[in-house]
Amino acid sequence: MATQQVEAAAAGHGAEPRGKRSDDGQATYLVAIAEALWEEMERDERVFMLGEDIGVYGGAFKVTEGFLDRFGHARVLDTPIAEETIVGMAVGSAMEGLRPIAEFQYADFMSSGFDEITTVLARYHYRAGVPLPVVLRGPSGGGVRASNFHSVNPEPWFAYTGGIKIMCPAFPSDAKGLLKSAIRDDNPSLFLEHKALYRRIKEHVSEDPELLVPIGSADVKRAGDDVTIVTYGAMVHKALEAAESLAGRGVSVEVVDLRTVYPIDEETVLRSIEKTSRALVLYESFRFLGIGSEVASVIAERAFEHLDAPVMRLAPPNHPVPFSPPLEDAFLPQVADIEAAVDRLSAW
Amino acid sequence: MTSIQMPQLGETIVEGTILKWLKHEGDAVATDEALFEISTDKVDTEVPSPVAGTVTKLLVAEGATVPVGTAVMEIDDGSGSGSQTGVGSGGSGAAGGSTGPAATTATAAAPVGPPPTATTGAPPVEPTLPSASDGPVSAAAVPDRGARSQILSPIVRRLAKERGVDLATVVGTGDGGRITKSDVLAAPGGGTAPAASLGVVVPTTPAPAQVAPPVQAPPSMPAGTGEDVQPMSHIRSAIATHMLASMTQTARAWTMVEVNVEHLVRLRTAAKDGFQQTYGVKLTYLPMVIRTTVDALREFPLVNSRLIGDDIVTPRFVNMGVAVSYDAGLIVPVIKGVDAMNTVGIARAIADLAARARAHQLQPDEVQGATFTITNPGPYGSLVSVPIINQPNAGILSLDAIQKRPVVVEEDAIAVRHMVYISMSWDHRLIDGELATRFLARVKHNLQTWDFAEDLGL
Amino acid sequence: MATTFEPDAAANERPLPDERLREMLYLLKLSRYVDERLEALYRQGRLPGALYSGRGQEGTHVGVTFALEPADSLFPTHRDLTAQLAKGLDLNRVLAQFWGRIDGYLRGRDGNSHIGDWDGNRTFAVMSHLPIAYPVAVGAAWAYQRAGDGRVALAICGDGATSNGRWHEAINTSAIMRLPVVWVVNNNQFAYSTPNEKEFAVPTIAERASAYGIPGVRVDGTEVLEVYAAASDAVDRARTGGGPSLIEAVSLRWRGHAGHDPAKYVPRELLEHYMLSKDPVKNFEAYLLALGVVDDAVVAELQERAERAFEAAHAFALASPFPERGDVSKGVWVEDGYWRSQPGRDGGTEGS
Repeated sequence: MATQQVEAAAAGHGAEPRGKRSDDGQATYLVAIAEALWEEMERDERVFMLGEDIGVYGGAFKVTEGFLDRFGHARVLDTPIAEETIVGMAVGSAMEGLRPIAEFQYADFMSSGFDEITTVLARYHYRAGVPLPVVLRGPSGGGVRASNFHSVNPEPWFAYTGGIKIMCPAFPSDAKGLLKSAIRDDNPSLFLEHKALYRRIKEHVSEDPELLVPIGSADVKRAGDDVTIVTYGAMVHKALEAAESLAGRGVSVEVVDLRTVYPIDEETVLRSIEKTSRALVLYESFRFLGIGSEVASVIAERAFEHLDAPVMRLAPPNHPVPFSPPLEDAFLPQVADIEAAVDRLSAW
Repeated sequence: MTSIQMPQLGETIVEGTILKWLKHEGDAVATDEALFEISTDKVDTEVPSPVAGTVTKLLVAEGATVPVGTAVMEIDDGSGSGSQTGVGSGGSGAAGGSTGPAATTATAAAPVGPPPTATTGAPPVEPTLPSASDGPVSAAAVPDRGARSQILSPIVRRLAKERGVDLATVVGTGDGGRITKSDVLAAPGGGTAPAASLGVVVPTTPAPAQVAPPVQAPPSMPAGTGEDVQPMSHIRSAIATHMLASMTQTARAWTMVEVNVEHLVRLRTAAKDGFQQTYGVKLTYLPMVIRTTVDALREFPLVNSRLIGDDIVTPRFVNMGVAVSYDAGLIVPVIKGVDAMNTVGIARAIADLAARARAHQLQPDEVQGATFTITNPGPYGSLVSVPIINQPNAGILSLDAIQKRPVVVEEDAIAVRHMVYISMSWDHRLIDGELATRFLARVKHNLQTWDFAEDLGL
Repeated sequence: MATTFEPDAAANERPLPDERLREMLYLLKLSRYVDERLEALYRQGRLPGALYSGRGQEGTHVGVTFALEPADSLFPTHRDLTAQLAKGLDLNRVLAQFWGRIDGYLRGRDGNSHIGDWDGNRTFAVMSHLPIAYPVAVGAAWAYQRAGDGRVALAICGDGATSNGRWHEAINTSAIMRLPVVWVVNNNQFAYSTPNEKEFAVPTIAERASAYGIPGVRVDGTEVLEVYAAASDAVDRARTGGGPSLIEAVSLRWRGHAGHDPAKYVPRELLEHYMLSKDPVKNFEAYLLALGVVDDAVVAELQERAERAFEAAHAFALASPFPERGDVSKGVWVEDGYWRSQPGRDGGTEGS
């Protein structure tokens, strides 16, 4: 593990200094991701990283600080600002047996590589049978006053193409275990790191380098009886906060963290709905055609006989993420919004 | 003889115009020699001949516009019988050039698409009969609940039926006085799981008083050379006891009907691939038979009943036992609340229970509480079966093999149709022949007339 | 054009062993015959899908591909079926793909010249969004450089694709990293219906190379040996650590963009000039006859061999079953094993 103390994260978004694990073994979300990358680079020399400013500079969020010193230029490749080519290089090198991890400075810029992602990466194996063990990773999501072009949640764009597994973890342990699974998976993966969690969320993370989290499995983060909140990413933490507050008022909320948003773990979601009969789908991608729209459809289609109320969605509107703090707060679902939605749902 | 058709040059093109005949009747043509010029929305081009021969007929005037696929010219290529070329794309056809007659019937090689939707022309699905507790509750029985009070969610309907809760007596605590799931669970009787009180199904050990005398091995034929001896497994022993008990304790009678399932076979053939993709389980006939049987059970509740002492107990719900064979023998997992399920739900439940039965993962309560049972020896080829009643049920239905048979259809014509024998062993203590026959007739009627397409989500 | 290099023009001495020259001629004749027959079948309505003719440009395709070793990779376009055949693809399986059959290289998942055989002949399965394969070729070349195994990637696109941003991204990136890659532009003078002068404001595409700091050369794409010489230089440079090169090979597209396009926008005199005087197949045949590498009997034999190969492949394709409908959603993920196992062959030969 890289142990250099770094002064501050780049880009100034909600940063506190990155560090190694704390003395009691806790790791931030960012440290957990860096550990996953480091351990997999150590484990398999076919694994290499490419992206903008990841080597000398250590990445815009300093996730890859120290990697160049340890692994050298042949495995930590600084590229020009050319996202189509970054993705294309990942594909071409994967076709030749390497296992590339391409970093996007912000997940927003995945749209600059859109064609290579959706047309080549997502479709090549179905067409021609050549495995492409490519990981694309980058910081996504809002809530950190990063404004319109640094706050996007691009997962629906790419879930729609099929052929790419998409992970949006909420906790350091899940982030580490899922990223390691993605790197070892023979299919393309999109690993979205919620930038609001990088340094804000910390927990004890296993030191076991073989501890993987399976792709495509959801996790019940809080058990409850009255209402299920199905969510992922940073919204998991808001849901847990709301659940705690609701418990004080006698409403028992179960929080299901999807962890992988494509393909979805339908069974875990349905098991929870069978128990509670009421579902709130909470998500940070746009409401219309967002990930949660699909979750709501699955519940309506497969758990109809178990429902005691309509499936509800809570998600931002389909327009750009605004900058001004009151506007961004109004745009994103807040804890109070979640509580109000659960109240409506449990009263129905 | 080869018939030349207007070709389709581009996937969106629907018609073309003959600009000019380059060959006329009586002209000799070589393979790939230009026959005529055409004009379409996308292209003006010459059409080369797929064969060598002599032009015998021009079927269209110069300047005429005809749909793609229209025969426009005939060429005698010495092949004798008529063949045609030019439609769509080359699904088949021998190679051109020197290898022999070039053109055969061209079959369109369209991209693979979803299977066609089956239309059977059957009348619309009959509504299932509501149970006493299922309909709108009477206004007099409950306090005013406001505009939305009559809305019953899917789970409320299901639980009320399963647990025999009379919704007229339940006070709703939901918005506008709607009855919620927890209201049903809190209602008298609502919290009691009916399954627990329903007697047992294999594997189990009956009370000593019910045990039949043990079967004596024939004394004249002890095991000898060339024979293997193994003790009966626990499961085998339980099955033996249970079956024998049924034979000695029920007044078993048997009735059979023959059912024309032609439209079900067509529907399944057309829909099975899409169904499996959509729902992840195979589409078989069993869920459709169960669905129609449940409907008949609701019309004739006595068939769904059981005897406890001198009392006839008639549930207002149906728990369907489905006999499943597995390595250890026979087990009857139960689809609880099957009357609240559509055919997709039933198909899923069967797949799930059967898979877990074969993996030895069934929970004890999943093999208890059947109110009626179905056995399905059809896939193994059985034509007619006489099953033993799964106590304490009043009847057991057998679904045997679907087979093409010559049958007399409308207008006294003889036709080949997919037919199946469906029969029931029934307990004459509870049911009489008229009821058993009317019940089976209802199952037959349902199977022959229901359009499952919508129920299957197709 | 300071960094442009001049290849030896096709010299009088033989640049390749006679056997290789004859093989070149065979591939030229085979490609021409395949192209003509497919067009006839298409117009007769006997070939499904679309058809993209590379006629008139075979000199470019054969010339660049003969400069490659089997382990080198080729990133072609839909116009470059000849290059794929020259790289070693089996005509039987190529035609099975054209007819949507299971024995096609892509098992019916893609059609016509959107073909590739990565595991066997190292050709990338063609995609439409040109030059979409250019960035992928950068990645392959990076893998060769990292492995130090002396392999080379060669990517082809048309003049039209040079207007797309990825063309610049990829060449620029490869130049920065001095990757073992050869960039070939098959300039057939028209991007669908748009002529060169509406595609770029410089006189030639080759001179753009200097802007990226790599060598660039413009050759006559109808002269197979001229193309071969330029490609060999570029491949050698890439193989020995000299970085990427750009080759602009000029020819003319004889047919429309696709089978339905009569290409009336191509000036008649220009087309006649190319068809009469700059036919890469006829000219190369005449050259070999003059050189004594072949005689009339050998030429006739090569032609006959090409025709036999096509007819056999056509019959093979029509006898090959369609993919099974039930397999339609297999092979999205690696783990279902579809591409590692033999596919089902019960799809029949009648399309629906």
